[in-house]
Amino acid sequence: MKRLLRSELIKLRTTRTFYALAGVAIGLSLLLTVLTASIGTNTKADVLDNVFQNDVSTLFIMILAIVGITGEWRHRTITSSLLAAPDRVRFLGAKTLAFAAAGALLSLAISIAVAIVAYAILGSRDQPTPPLGDVIELMGRNVGVAALLGAFGVGVGSLLRNQAVAIVGILILGFVVDSLLGAFAPGVETFSPTGALPNAIQGIDPGDVGMSEVDFLAAIPAVGAMLVWIGALFGLGAALLVKRDVE
Amino acid sequence: MAAIEINGISKRFGSVQAVSDLSFEVGSGRVTGFLGPNGAGKSTTLRMLLGLVHADGGTATFGGRRFEDLPHPSAEVGAVLEDASFHPGRSGRNHLRILAAAGGHPASRVDEVLQLVGLGDAGNRRVKGYSMGMRQRLAIAAALLGDPEVLILDEPANGLDPPGIRWMRDLLRSEAGRGRAVLVSSHLLSEVSQSVDDIVVISHGELRASGSLDQVLGQAQGGGTRVRAEDGEALAAALEAAGIEFTRGDGGALLAGGATPEAVGAAANEHRVALSELVSVGRSLEDVFFELTAGERE
Repeated sequence: MKRLLRSELIKLRTTRTFYALAGVAIGLSLLLTVLTASIGTNTKADVLDNVFQNDVSTLFIMILAIVGITGEWRHRTITSSLLAAPDRVRFLGAKTLAFAAAGALLSLAISIAVAIVAYAILGSRDQPTPPLGDVIELMGRNVGVAALLGAFGVGVGSLLRNQAVAIVGILILGFVVDSLLGAFAPGVETFSPTGALPNAIQGIDPGDVGMSEVDFLAAIPAVGAMLVWIGALFGLGAALLVKRDVE
Repeated sequence: MAAIEINGISKRFGSVQAVSDLSFEVGSGRVTGFLGPNGAGKSTTLRMLLGLVHADGGTATFGGRRFEDLPHPSAEVGAVLEDASFHPGRSGRNHLRILAAAGGHPASRVDEVLQLVGLGDAGNRRVKGYSMGMRQRLAIAAALLGDPEVLILDEPANGLDPPGIRWMRDLLRSEAGRGRAVLVSSHLLSEVSQSVDDIVVISHGELRASGSLDQVLGQAQGGGTRVRAEDGEALAAALEAAGIEFTRGDGGALLAGGATPEAVGAAANEHRVALSELVSVGRSLEDVFFELTAGERE
């Protein structure tokens, strides 16, 4: 598994897509941080949520993961991948772990950059800053969510071979379906892997993300629910991959 | 035990029976040509052998083990499949680094195989800038990464220029010379006839002929063995006694249709007849191929 994981991490590092999406995620996160730290005033109570919670890596890592797994079919590299690693379940497992690790690293890099910029701007404006311990806890939550969504993205991509359909599908789920569920079926939204669950793990208030009707789970049960989602997608994706003929 | 054993393997795609109860073996130290018209089931057979396509029945093994069950697959079997694909934005070297990491091969092996296939200077270029021949060489480099005991090549000459084809032929012979088993599917019959020891011919997913090249060419209709002796009558009697049919040719030569040189030589030896000529005469591989595949389009 170690070899496969290394191989998957080299795959990630050797395409421009990774650097482009990671660059956009970092740039967007820093832009939001600069704006929220520079404009208006914050209290000690809300500065953490308003300024330090600008890590947008979660969406990008999901897209990267989908691109990573569906790209194997799109570019037909699945053949050489399976010739090097014929155990298809281990192959999918390595890819899942690789994107979880990539998500965690990307989120950590963004969270650190956001914290440095936020402290610098807030300090220069004599604005209140949160205790470092709270910022570190927030980083931990963000890193965890990014890792889970990286793995989740691989699961989605293992079920939908068509890259465009998978990416558009996940965007619709995140931006449309979650909002509709939040308004009309809040009990269902509570368990959404692209909406309430990641927000719950990050400790975000439902009202801050337009889901005031939704009861967010506590962080630990939310992590458990995300793992159930990932496990289910992995199981289905692995079964499909094992059954498929690679022609 | 043969390096590759295919035993009663079958595959159906919907209403199409792609491969039907196909059996043959590939020995170590030999180059085996795998021939058949387009759609005969060659690629499907190779993909079943490599665990990429699931067989409906039968077995395909390397030294008795399925590809999926080999402890170090890429160190035991190297494969180039038709239409080898790469991520266009990745360099050739990085493509090989990925496969080397997955197969547990040292990173230094990447540069070795790049040099071996003549891509040493192009390794850092993105694959999308490669010509078809360069892509084919990269695919061959990938197959050679683990220095495997078995090489499977599906149409390896595709995209190669004449020097490339000669290089490929030399590579096949050199790998077989090192004791490797080489199974190569190709539609370039003249090329195959120059580089293989054995051939397997399939059509409509069914085996039509297999054996050494001489054997198959000799056994095919119109082929046979030309034999000559000082004592032509004694030779004729020996062949008759062995039940070998023959016709009389020019200059006292006898043409034993459908018999191998081995069988003719053994018959002559049994009757103490000294031979002055013993030659396998057959038609070209192309003639035999069309006969065996009943003139299907290649």
